[in-house]
Amino acid sequence: MIVEGRVQIPFRYAAGAAASRFGAALRDERRILGARCTGCDRVLCPPGPFCGSCGGAAGAAVEVGPGATLLAWTELPDRGAFALVRLDGADGALAHRLVDVPEPRVGMRLRARFAPERGGDIRDIEGFGAEGIER
Amino acid sequence: MSAVAIIGTGQTRHASRRDDVSQPELVREAAEAALADAAVGPDEVDAVLLANMELFEGRALPELWAGAGAFAAGKPCMKVATGGTSGTSGCIAAFHQVAAGLFDLVLVVGFEKHSEGHSQTGMALTDPFWDRAVASGALGNFALSISQYVAERGATAEQAALVAVKARRNAARNPHAHLRMGDLTVEEVLSSRMLADPVRLLDMCPQSDGACAIVVASAAAARRRSRRPAWVLAAETRHEQPYIGDIDRRLVTMRTLRDAARVAYRRAGIGDPLTDLDVAEIYEPVSYAELAWYEALGFCADGDAGRLVEEGVTGMEGELPVNPSGGVLSSNPVGASGVIRVAEAALQIHGRGGERQVEGARLALATGYGVYAWADAVVLGAEAGAT
Repeated sequence: MIVEGRVQIPFRYAAGAAASRFGAALRDERRILGARCTGCDRVLCPPGPFCGSCGGAAGAAVEVGPGATLLAWTELPDRGAFALVRLDGADGALAHRLVDVPEPRVGMRLRARFAPERGGDIRDIEGFGAEGIER
Repeated sequence: MSAVAIIGTGQTRHASRRDDVSQPELVREAAEAALADAAVGPDEVDAVLLANMELFEGRALPELWAGAGAFAAGKPCMKVATGGTSGTSGCIAAFHQVAAGLFDLVLVVGFEKHSEGHSQTGMALTDPFWDRAVASGALGNFALSISQYVAERGATAEQAALVAVKARRNAARNPHAHLRMGDLTVEEVLSSRMLADPVRLLDMCPQSDGACAIVVASAAAARRRSRRPAWVLAAETRHEQPYIGDIDRRLVTMRTLRDAARVAYRRAGIGDPLTDLDVAEIYEPVSYAELAWYEALGFCADGDAGRLVEEGVTGMEGELPVNPSGGVLSSNPVGASGVIRVAEAALQIHGRGGERQVEGARLALATGYGVYAWADAVVLGAEAGAT
């Protein structure tokens, strides 16, 4: 015998200080805010609560992007193109979508595309498009 | 630390669906096989360690309801859940328990029934702020890292396909394996469906139902009960930072596996792993990963992994056979996969590998890989090391 069914899991997660600041700036000002690590001075973006390298805390806000450099990319036939991009001024890379990049190549310049309707999270960036190509 | 050994192993037949058994029954199948192999009765087991990723089956507290399959009632029992390393880390936890003198006999059982849940949903329940909406999932994330590895090290799709072929052909000699494809060719791998550029369907591990168990024994118990124990010479685990974008060229640097292996080799007295080791069972979720792991594990210089597989150095007749079992590319019940690596390495030392036995194997490596967050390295030997 096989028992079948489906479960739904509601959730509500607290983003924490640096990610909340990131969300608010994105939603209200279309600005991307990283955070300077209090331990090693790296600029974290996305700004998690702690620096992955040294364990220091996310400190003062630092504006990064919206320009970025493509570090790695892949394409999934059913889901589109994804990438690791380094936002100008940030030390790490951000995992996000590529939009309107006909021929991705590592090292190319990209620019964040902001969503017209924004709710205060990472989806307020629709993805990264080739610099110079406007919609 | 006191000497510790593996004195018995057992595993199920791994398959895409094991509708013939429930999860506790699947666990029992592996547990009974390992206990029989070790000639240990269920009542003699002091403690039980389980490895399972419960989100994949969507059922909480597997140690509670599947623990009965491992004879856990009334005994110390706990669970390890660290993605692909669940199994190797579960084994390492048991080594530590026995080495600390807490127990003489510990049963480790790793299991997963991917067919019963929705693994993709389980994998999607990662970081809610930075991953869920915009990241490409486990496979896409891996493909991103592969693109960096390929760009820097020059590995080719053909070399990756050779790894995929080696795994499935080896699996044809392993009665437990899920994908047994003795006639698979490089051309078939290269023409299989693209999943996430450059990873194709046959470059990728399957999702399997299966379980695997080992019996871990103290030195005294091992010498009393086993003719040829597989001694644990080293067991190392390393954790990584949380966000993929912060890890510098993940597959290229691979510091978790590099660090774990370096320390494990030192503890086990291994100078040159390619010549010193007799066999390796490494956790390769994707064909390209095996190439990257050769470099991280010091089997060759950086950039030389493709040559190793092209020249058959890691084939069954080569200098260092890698994954005689067929590896994760041929069977992947995630919670069990790490235990399978350790069990297969132990099986080689026990000299009971059947058609997949590497003749005279006396020193074996097993590794684990959990998303990008963990890596484990375990060295087993036919002789107890200095402790």
